[in-house]
Amino acid sequence: MQIPLTFWDISEWLAVMSIILLIASQLASAYKGASTALFNKKRLRIASLTMGILFLATVAFHIYQITKNI
Amino acid sequence: MFKTRKSKQKGTYIVRITSTCFLISTMIALGAVSLAFSAFSSSSVLAFIGLSLTFWGVLLLYIAPKRHVPLEMLTVASLSTLRNMEKLLTSMSQCEKGIYLPPEYMHDVESSIVFVSFNEQTLLPGTRQADKEEMCIKNPKGMFLTPPGLELSTLFEKQLGTSFLAVGLDFLREKLPDLLTNNLEIAEGAEVSVDNSIVKVQLENHIFQALCKETRKLPNTHKFLGCLLSSAIACALAKATRKPIIIMEETQDGETTKIQYRMLGE
Repeated sequence: MQIPLTFWDISEWLAVMSIILLIASQLASAYKGASTALFNKKRLRIASLTMGILFLATVAFHIYQITKNI
Repeated sequence: MFKTRKSKQKGTYIVRITSTCFLISTMIALGAVSLAFSAFSSSSVLAFIGLSLTFWGVLLLYIAPKRHVPLEMLTVASLSTLRNMEKLLTSMSQCEKGIYLPPEYMHDVESSIVFVSFNEQTLLPGTRQADKEEMCIKNPKGMFLTPPGLELSTLFEKQLGTSFLAVGLDFLREKLPDLLTNNLEIAEGAEVSVDNSIVKVQLENHIFQALCKETRKLPNTHKFLGCLLSSAIACALAKATRKPIIIMEETQDGETTKIQYRMLGE
């Protein structure tokens, strides 16, 4: 019994999530947004950057593996 | 999000779950169940759904504000204090000027104080005279008051990660617009300009407009102390420039607020 996701599945998922979050964090504003949807913009930005860095880390790992095989 | 209150029965607590909290909890629970099922059925689709639901649940929990109140609450909560201040200033019929003193006048240099002078000439109290317990002094005649924007100015310092004492006017001119618009989102636009001893601040659609409008109805408070935001900026200016500051003018034109300060001793 194990979760059927490979390292590359997670990497792709991280890429998609980081793009969504980065766009959301850049577009979101207390003035332009709906007044009912309140959230901490700074924390959203931190989360989006963390996801982006995690994705880049998986890419770096991928590059490392390729160079190692050569 | 989770509101806990103590029940009348000793040792028991009632937890009120808000709709947002319920939604987030459901997302996390569904995500966890979906992940568990994906492991059993070896379904990657279920795994993706589970992973995403759990992630968004935790993310929403992380980015949701602890608590928020409508702006009207802030306005009505501050009005009584301002009215008391107005009564005090009106009863002291000789009030002539409100001067925001630089830190040299206080023992606690991180604090700020307003000296309401009873003289037409701008006579300042002696250094450290503001430290004494009494509110009113006789030489020069006047009284010391805590500025309405003191705590807001402290919040500015916290957000900037530095005390205004450690920076100068140039830093304030450069950083204050960004702080008010992007960091704290107090205003949609902000501009600070310095012309010799005059500092002009222009704010677009700031969130304290209603409170400032109410303060304008209290002539003495408005004249000597300014509204919450102009007072906070005056505290920051007094600290950064180390010069006494007077709020010369504060006008509202549509959504634009213009505040003019004068640095004394230039």
